Amino acid sequence: MVAHLIPAIPFLAFVINILFGRKIKKVSAFVSILACGVSLCLSIYTFASLLKGHGSYTLFKWLIFGSTSLNVGVIVDPLTCMMLLVVTIIGTLIQIYSIGYMKDDPRFSRFFAYMSLFMSSMLGLLLADNFIILLIFWEGVGLCSYLLISFWFEKISAAKAGMKAFITTRIGDTGLLIGVFILFFSAHTVHFSGLTAISNANPLFTAAALLIFCGAVGKSAQFPLHVWLPDAMEGPTPVSALIHAATMVAAGVYLVARCFGLFLAHQPALIWVAYVGAATSIFAATIAAVNNDIKRILAYSTISQLGFMMIGLGVGGYSAGTFHLMTHAFFKALLFLCAGSIIHSIHAQDIRRMGGIFQKMKITGTTFVIASLAISGVPPFSGFWSKDEILSESLRSGHPYLFMIAMATSLLTAFYMFRLIFLVLFGKPRSELHPYESPKVMTIPLAILAIFAIFIGLVGSPFMHNAFQTFIHPGPPENSEGLAPNYLVMLLSTLAAALGIAAAYLFYMLNNKILPLEIRNKFTLLYNLLYNKYYIDEIYEFLFIRPSIRLSRLASKFDSGVIDGAVNACAKAVVVLSRIKSWIDRYIVDGAVNMTAGIVGLSSLVLRRVQTGYIQTYLLIAFFGLVLIIFIKLIGG
Amino acid sequence: MSGLIQVLNNSLLSQDAVIKATFYPTAFLTIFFAFLVVMSRSIFHSVIYLAFTLIGIAGIYLYLDAEFLAIVQVLIYVGAIVTLFIFTIMLTTQADTEPIRGTVRRMWAGALAGFAIFLILSKVITMTTWHIGLPEAAFVNLRELGRSLMSKYALPFEVISLISLAALVGVIVIGRGRKR
Amino acid sequence: MIPQSHFLILSALLFSIGVFGILTRKNAIGILMSIELILNAANINLITFGKFLGSPDGLGQIFALFVIAIAAASAVVGLGLVISIYRNAKTILVNKLNLMKW
Repeated sequence: MVAHLIPAIPFLAFVINILFGRKIKKVSAFVSILACGVSLCLSIYTFASLLKGHGSYTLFKWLIFGSTSLNVGVIVDPLTCMMLLVVTIIGTLIQIYSIGYMKDDPRFSRFFAYMSLFMSSMLGLLLADNFIILLIFWEGVGLCSYLLISFWFEKISAAKAGMKAFITTRIGDTGLLIGVFILFFSAHTVHFSGLTAISNANPLFTAAALLIFCGAVGKSAQFPLHVWLPDAMEGPTPVSALIHAATMVAAGVYLVARCFGLFLAHQPALIWVAYVGAATSIFAATIAAVNNDIKRILAYSTISQLGFMMIGLGVGGYSAGTFHLMTHAFFKALLFLCAGSIIHSIHAQDIRRMGGIFQKMKITGTTFVIASLAISGVPPFSGFWSKDEILSESLRSGHPYLFMIAMATSLLTAFYMFRLIFLVLFGKPRSELHPYESPKVMTIPLAILAIFAIFIGLVGSPFMHNAFQTFIHPGPPENSEGLAPNYLVMLLSTLAAALGIAAAYLFYMLNNKILPLEIRNKFTLLYNLLYNKYYIDEIYEFLFIRPSIRLSRLASKFDSGVIDGAVNACAKAVVVLSRIKSWIDRYIVDGAVNMTAGIVGLSSLVLRRVQTGYIQTYLLIAFFGLVLIIFIKLIGG
Repeated sequence: MSGLIQVLNNSLLSQDAVIKATFYPTAFLTIFFAFLVVMSRSIFHSVIYLAFTLIGIAGIYLYLDAEFLAIVQVLIYVGAIVTLFIFTIMLTTQADTEPIRGTVRRMWAGALAGFAIFLILSKVITMTTWHIGLPEAAFVNLRELGRSLMSKYALPFEVISLISLAALVGVIVIGRGRKR
Repeated sequence: MIPQSHFLILSALLFSIGVFGILTRKNAIGILMSIELILNAANINLITFGKFLGSPDGLGQIFALFVIAIAAASAVVGLGLVISIYRNAKTILVNKLNLMKW
């Protein structure tokens, strides 16, 4: 019953780091790592308690409207526990690595503050038991992604990349929000437990499921909202490793898995998940094959692998998709950290300038190769087992075309990964490089992750009786053939991996890039298309960005012209009114006053003639008065 | 008038007629000279006319059986006061040619005022029926005047002397001019 | 006998002339002379009433006597003032003596 503390402790670390970061400087890293470590321990404890039989629980009643009430609770089920362990282990290791990578950065403590905030949000997302809380943490991870991508905001490209990430995922989030609304207004529940009650198919819920998938498309960088992930490589490499490889991008997959009951009941939505995933994975793999930036190759690889996971979920393979989610997190994080290690030592990212680094960076090189073997699906590394699950699942559930696409993707994956290995680590250096091995604080996490990358797959393999699958999906298996290993598929996938590696070797090791050059010259058009990422960014720029900028300029003109104009007109009216009033005041009011004074003056001008100073005049008047009086007396009688 | 009456007793004219015959010309002359006083251009002429007017008034007094007063009038008014006037005129004569009378407008206003007053007074006079006392008691002789002056009206007598003293002192102070 | 009203009309006439003189004359001494006229008119009135109403102890005549005395005193003081004014302002024409003008 301590699961709700798991996100709370990293949040506390965030508060401490953000408030006192400047004072404690390097200690902030320890605060952050300590918090993460505590969360790791709590996750292990929660996992243990789950095995003992404890499940989800509610914390408190939050909102009550009408007859429905929104409770805040914690969901403790196999999926969440697995994700908690993955996130906390990888998070802790990456933060330890960051001590070395971000050593010379002036904003060291703020980096760890943001990392802690991210951990808190991600863990909260995993533990949320209803859509509303999930959405809160969903936004939280989006915010942290933005903050961390544009961490070096002095670089204009980093700032732009942060904005791109935020806006693109926002598009997906809108879909998610609408989907949640539909669910709420139709099913009157936002709790995940209520979703299992939706068993009968309803076109409204199909739409809701698709809209929820929109959110996943945004967060997990599927086509067409994938454009932000390559640009997000502007951020520090630990950020790329943690957020954009292992955890945040997995949130989309997690969401689909969390709503799997809803998806299962609405097959049209589910199959779309698979289609989108398939398209994305082959699409991204082709781009990765010709790209020349280490981190971008890995980014497109992430997009491709996430598509793979979506294929797995989309064909109904809940355990397959989530298995690959787990293994991918480890080896992708490892790949990024190795890349970061190389970048940290030679300060370059273009692979055309690299080569022969293995000599000087043995540990990094070794772990790099291990991770590449894992991602290529070479047995007995972890990637093999999870990929195999997806491939056999797609075949088993009657989607041969998806199987073929997935196979092709696997081949390409092996190819481009080993192209990367051969170009970076082996051969002769192509420019002046001075590589040196990274400090222990960076290489030890590499080693630990390598161990995971090698062995973690075994928990889902037949050697351990598919323990992972039974764990993750309690109840009868989703297909009738059970989880018997499909040897044909295993063979085929290994073959594909071997083919890919051989091709890479051929292209890049033997002839030292003569063959690729020839192919490039022959297929220039195709090459340009791939090299420029199918011009998707340019298309978006033309279709969406320019019009919206134009619209916003128009709106701004409207605002300054009409609205400000109205305000200015009011002000002018007030000024005119006040002028009129001042005129009135000056001429009419003052005029009246002056007129009175004038009258008095004029009358006095006339009347003072009485004061002649001559006694005779006065006497005259006196006599007249006397006459008058007597006259009146006479008349009166 | 009793002596004069005795003188005229032997004449052919009746007492009444003589009185009447002489009164109206005297009155007329008095009025005439009074007019001249106020209308004449030269101040010297005004003074002379004033003297004549006062003598005329003294004559009127005689018709009112106030012989003593007539003599006093001539003595004091004509003898002293007019002399005083003449002296003052001589001391304050100006050689400029400004007309002594006021502007025409003021003349008309003054005439109007005077005329109005006269009108009213005459109206009152003619309207009232005057009570006439015993004619015998009208004759007052000098002896009685003197006696009442010293007994009954002694206070006003003393006051008059005080007033004269005050006037005397006052005039000396005023006429003295600035202290040198 | 001359009726009482004739004397009274005479005195009224003299009074009016005196009023006219006061309001008209520019020379200060002229004004004083007009004042004397008025006083004399009053005297005539007094003596007339003294005779016709029958005054015990000769009240009418005594009153007139006192009036003469007072008229004399006032004329004296007035003339003294005139001389003083003449000394200061070099003029005794009242239209020039307008210090009380506004």
